[in-house]
Amino acid sequence: MNLTPDTDDLELLSATTDWCQGHMPLAQARQRPAGLRQDMRDMGWFDMTLPSAQGGLALSHATEVLVFAEFGRFLAPVSAMAAATANRWRAASSAQPRSAPPSLAILANDQWRVFDPAGEAEVLVANADTVQLARLPSDLVACEGLDPSTRFAMMAPSDNAPMLAPAAHRHLQLLSAAYAAGCAEAARDMAADYAKVREQFDRPIGWFQSVKHMCADMVVRAAVARSQLYYAACAMDAGDTDAAFHIAAAKRLADHAALDNGRANIQIHGGIGMTDAAAPHLCLKRAHLLAFITPCHRVDLLGAPE
Amino acid sequence: MNNQFSAEERRFREECADWLHANAPRERRPLHAADALDFDKAWQRRLFDAGWAGINWPTEYGGRGLPIVQQVIWLEEYAAAKAPWIGANFVGINHGGPTLIMNASVAQKTYHLPRILKGEAIWCQGFSEPGAGSDLAGIRTKARVEGDELVVNGSKIWTSFAHVADWQELVVRTEEGSRRHKGLSWVICDMHAPGVTVRPIQKMSGQIEFCEVFYDNVRLPLENVVGGLGNGWSVAMSTLSFERGTGFIADQVKQAQEIEELIAQARRTGHMRNDVIAEQLAHLRAEVAALRAMTYRNISEVVRTGQPGAEASVIRLFGAELGQRLERMAILLAGDAILDFRYGDATFVHDYLRGFASTIAGGSSQIQRDIIGERILGLPKSR
Repeated sequence: MNLTPDTDDLELLSATTDWCQGHMPLAQARQRPAGLRQDMRDMGWFDMTLPSAQGGLALSHATEVLVFAEFGRFLAPVSAMAAATANRWRAASSAQPRSAPPSLAILANDQWRVFDPAGEAEVLVANADTVQLARLPSDLVACEGLDPSTRFAMMAPSDNAPMLAPAAHRHLQLLSAAYAAGCAEAARDMAADYAKVREQFDRPIGWFQSVKHMCADMVVRAAVARSQLYYAACAMDAGDTDAAFHIAAAKRLADHAALDNGRANIQIHGGIGMTDAAAPHLCLKRAHLLAFITPCHRVDLLGAPE
Repeated sequence: MNNQFSAEERRFREECADWLHANAPRERRPLHAADALDFDKAWQRRLFDAGWAGINWPTEYGGRGLPIVQQVIWLEEYAAAKAPWIGANFVGINHGGPTLIMNASVAQKTYHLPRILKGEAIWCQGFSEPGAGSDLAGIRTKARVEGDELVVNGSKIWTSFAHVADWQELVVRTEEGSRRHKGLSWVICDMHAPGVTVRPIQKMSGQIEFCEVFYDNVRLPLENVVGGLGNGWSVAMSTLSFERGTGFIADQVKQAQEIEELIAQARRTGHMRNDVIAEQLAHLRAEVAALRAMTYRNISEVVRTGQPGAEASVIRLFGAELGQRLERMAILLAGDAILDFRYGDATFVHDYLRGFASTIAGGSSQIQRDIIGERILGLPKSR
């Protein structure tokens, strides 16, 4: 039993952080360079848990969530989690198209809401308990929505899109929990950094317990989310019978942390936190978006009603 | 990272479970500390005789000296077997004894440690005062040196088990005019010494466990000072390094049992059809799982670095508040049956009322939030 990253993990994590800082700083979340996801793919991040026989890195989910929580912290494109899930679970016979990593879609009434659709060949569709892999029409036009760092388009569901293995849905839920845990941490750190430098009544506002305690609660929510994330990833690696519960719990707590920390971060920033120019709203809006990707339903935590 | 225990650890878990199921008292521990004293002593003696006393104490002092992961396993199995709390032995085993191990003279250790382990000597803590609660450095109880004695005057409060204790870890101001953390001394106080008066205080749960203690020219041998005159603060704090984040594991296992019982109860009573209650139960179940994950993470940190992470205060804060949310859920599900509660009942209503202590005692949740803000986030110190 070991729920802390080992030396190899920490090295990978530190390299990931450096890369993210260089290639996708949070402040530029709404203008990502066109080739960003291809660059991420070339780093091998979408093949981390793929068996080596299929050309993957054969790493554990426990290592993978460290990297994806980091993506969450930088408000990386959400479709990265779709790419990793699709690569891991697509039929071994169907070769991965090299055009571009897949997009991610969720159900929107009788349509699919496709995130990051620009120029993609495939889309991973997250249903309530399953995921399927479909082809994207080439004429999709992406527009902006609530989350300024994620463009989306609507499309009609395509028939005959193959379902991936049942584990694929859990994998996607685990990665979206990682994103949300990272998002909660980004808001926490932004709030704490601001509370150290913003002065009122001749002192940093972080001196005041009313502000300090809000920040402490952000720490707690983020720690709860990250701890359960680690446990859930390990449970999936071990094939534990209760892995689905632990992943659902991780998702529930991470979404909760991302939303509440997103809101608290804006409050701590005060007026500047209300503006479009400042970054806090990016975390909040991303948290809202993540909450719709493989949400945790009550039945996932409590089992079917009797 | 992995969440699996080794084969050796799984064998150890079986060993713990077997012994506990065969030996843990089945009868309920009496509610009031004075009524529970014989029970507590007998249980501690049984633990000692089987080699389970002081699982985290070094073997050279008669403890079991278990590695931290095995301590976790023991504590988990202890709670799973519904073994009783060690009650009046709590302070000696978890605080007084470890402080002596870290700081005391050979003579002090030789005399006191075996008695604590065997449940023969009951200890209490003498830190908090009417004017020194969260602000512990505001201690005003004084002791002046007269020849080879200390003469103590003042009072302590919220002292659990003082009315049944033989000894006390007493922190007093031994330097006239000293302020804050300076000029304090940690001294072994004989609770049977002339001039010590103990007045039990009944809690709002009905339980009689903590007390007020008054010192009227109490004479203690100077040799009872541990760690040297004037070093009381660092002696008192040294025990923190003995505490490796295992302090609340039994509570967590109880919380895990409690949420499962609440879910079963809500299904039985039809409360589960209420969406608000069902949603809260689902969330609580996730939080209980996360608390265990946090603890495992902290324990792993101890294994890796030898030190618990700063996140120990996070566990403390989250666990205490989660426990209260569970107790409130039990109250909500019970409905007006809670109005039947009378002092002396040892039911979930009692636990709910007693549970208010968990965010107050031993560092309130407000103090924990200060610590998290200042030590983890690096926000400016308010005090």
